[in-house]
Amino acid sequence: MTTPPTARSTPIRVVLVDDHRMFRTGVRAELTEAMAAGGPVCEFVGEAPDVDTAVSVIRTETPDVVLLDVHLPGGSGNGGGDVIRGCAGVETADGTPVRFLALSVSDAAEDVIATIRAGARGYVTKTITARDLVTAIQRVADGDAVFSPRLAGFVLDAFGAAAGEIAEVDEELDRLSAREREVMRLIARGYQYKEVAKELFISVKTVETHVSSVLRKLQLSSRHELTAWAMGRRLV
Amino acid sequence: MPTPYQPAATRLGPEAVPEPAPVSARPPLVRSRAGWTPGVCAAIARHLGVSVTAVRLAVVVLAFSGGAGIAAYGFLWALTPLEDVAPEGEPSALWSDRRRSVLVIVGGVVLVVVGLALSVPGVGVTVRSSVLVPAFVIGVGAVVAWSNLDEAQRGRWLAGGRGGVGWVRVALGTALALVGILVLVTRGNSVSEVWDALLSAVAVLLGTLFLVAPWAVQLWGDLRREQVAAARATERADIAAHLHDSVLQTLALIQRQSGDPASVTRLARAQERELRSWLYDGPQGSQESLAAAVTEVAHEVEDLHGVPVDLVVTGDRPFEQHGSALSRAMREALLNAVRHAAPPITAYVEIGPSGVEAFVRDRGEGFDLDAVPEDRLGVRQSVLGRMERHGGAARVRRREDGTEVELRLPPLEGDPS
Repeated sequence: MTTPPTARSTPIRVVLVDDHRMFRTGVRAELTEAMAAGGPVCEFVGEAPDVDTAVSVIRTETPDVVLLDVHLPGGSGNGGGDVIRGCAGVETADGTPVRFLALSVSDAAEDVIATIRAGARGYVTKTITARDLVTAIQRVADGDAVFSPRLAGFVLDAFGAAAGEIAEVDEELDRLSAREREVMRLIARGYQYKEVAKELFISVKTVETHVSSVLRKLQLSSRHELTAWAMGRRLV
Repeated sequence: MPTPYQPAATRLGPEAVPEPAPVSARPPLVRSRAGWTPGVCAAIARHLGVSVTAVRLAVVVLAFSGGAGIAAYGFLWALTPLEDVAPEGEPSALWSDRRRSVLVIVGGVVLVVVGLALSVPGVGVTVRSSVLVPAFVIGVGAVVAWSNLDEAQRGRWLAGGRGGVGWVRVALGTALALVGILVLVTRGNSVSEVWDALLSAVAVLLGTLFLVAPWAVQLWGDLRREQVAAARATERADIAAHLHDSVLQTLALIQRQSGDPASVTRLARAQERELRSWLYDGPQGSQESLAAAVTEVAHEVEDLHGVPVDLVVTGDRPFEQHGSALSRAMREALLNAVRHAAPPITAYVEIGPSGVEAFVRDRGEGFDLDAVPEDRLGVRQSVLGRMERHGGAARVRRREDGTEVELRLPPLEGDPS
């Protein structure tokens, strides 16, 4: 994820939501440093430590991308999911919806699945490098999905794709198509989108389409494994 | 590093090392679980170190001296705890058979003596049948009801114990005892005379119930609240103990070694992993699965070299020798990656019905297998050779940025899926 997906004229407006001040400061510093070389790609327009502040900040600032922690105080107790639901329908100045990228230390399946199903466009863990995070923010701002190797692994497991279940038609919500499975497998192996494209002899755009389609299935499918994870979210 | 689900004693700090239990002169007074009888006599015999027969004889003799033996037996039955588990190697089947015969003999003797007492007045204690029969009925009822309670281990009462059968037994026992009490009370008198007394007794009972009910309900609520609070406190203490042993210790270590970034990274990573598995994985079942084995391998490599390995595993299967070969080959591949290549190192293992595929990917310079001297055994023997010996295959791919080692195993034989 070294090359920006598309060149932008204006920086991406970003709001950072996390209940740890130390982490917020850290992310800002790291991103600023990472962007120092490649020009200002993102611009921090606000931050919030809890659900209610986050919703009001996002409604006022209408950022392009919200970096969202999964576990947050306030709201009805569902953390990041509450923020996403509280900001439903909020659009940026140029009419695109506000997009969410979940950023969390937790890589428990139920957290990942619950946040994605609430509407996040991707999920990365806090151990991600600053450079990769910038790329992920750009991708999400462009409306694409961001899948980490771990999320891809969850998807393969949850859709039974690892066990060989393959959709007959691409539109089927409860299973992955053969191509989507291939893409997910390569992402799980640590391939960047560019490398996936090269490996499968397709364009990066096609890879992005496949990943977005998997994200859609992940959000809409009523597969038992997915609903069970979303429902059975434990409070730790 | 301790796992969170070890028993509390092993998890406490060194200051709390449990002292060796004092060698007790006598075995504890507990009843055996095996057998038909409640095991009171056997328990006393074991505790006092005398023969079981002697104890039984004493109880029978005492039973005829004004019923002291029966009272003592009932008392001990109610108050002696059951042993935790049947001790290893106890021939419980044989034991229980012997007990059963003893029970039959004792029962027979008791019946014979009771019969004698009834037919020949003046033998032993004088008893009238009008007292004895109801008393006997009450006794049988109580034994039936209480024996069920005994099986439910008293603490759990009947909640979810053995369901319908348990309740039937309790109801039957209680009914028998009630009939006995009624007969005892009405003895000699006609039912109509007792009727008034019964009515007033019921009225008093109902009145008491009304008065006591709110208080009892409140008491019950308090008890529940207390239990919940106690459970919460225990959980908190558990969490505190775990954090103390793991996170706080690691933080202390990190502070001490803050000059050495490599070891700080290693410590932080290991602690993160441990905490993660504690928070999200729950109690670890058997480690005898391939997924657990490869995860273990990745963690080991991480700990050895302090280089993070991003591992993703999907699916699982039992751990056997081929899987063991795969995990060892994967270890070698990971070690090569952390030694010679650059991070990030990613590993993906897919365990499915069509076999196992494992990929280890790094971002190093890459290397040409043909350029590796013949006498270097690492890749050729540990990875390629090992996989081939186990019916699998291995391939080393050189990519633009880095190397990818690919390991394959066929599905398990006899695997139905």
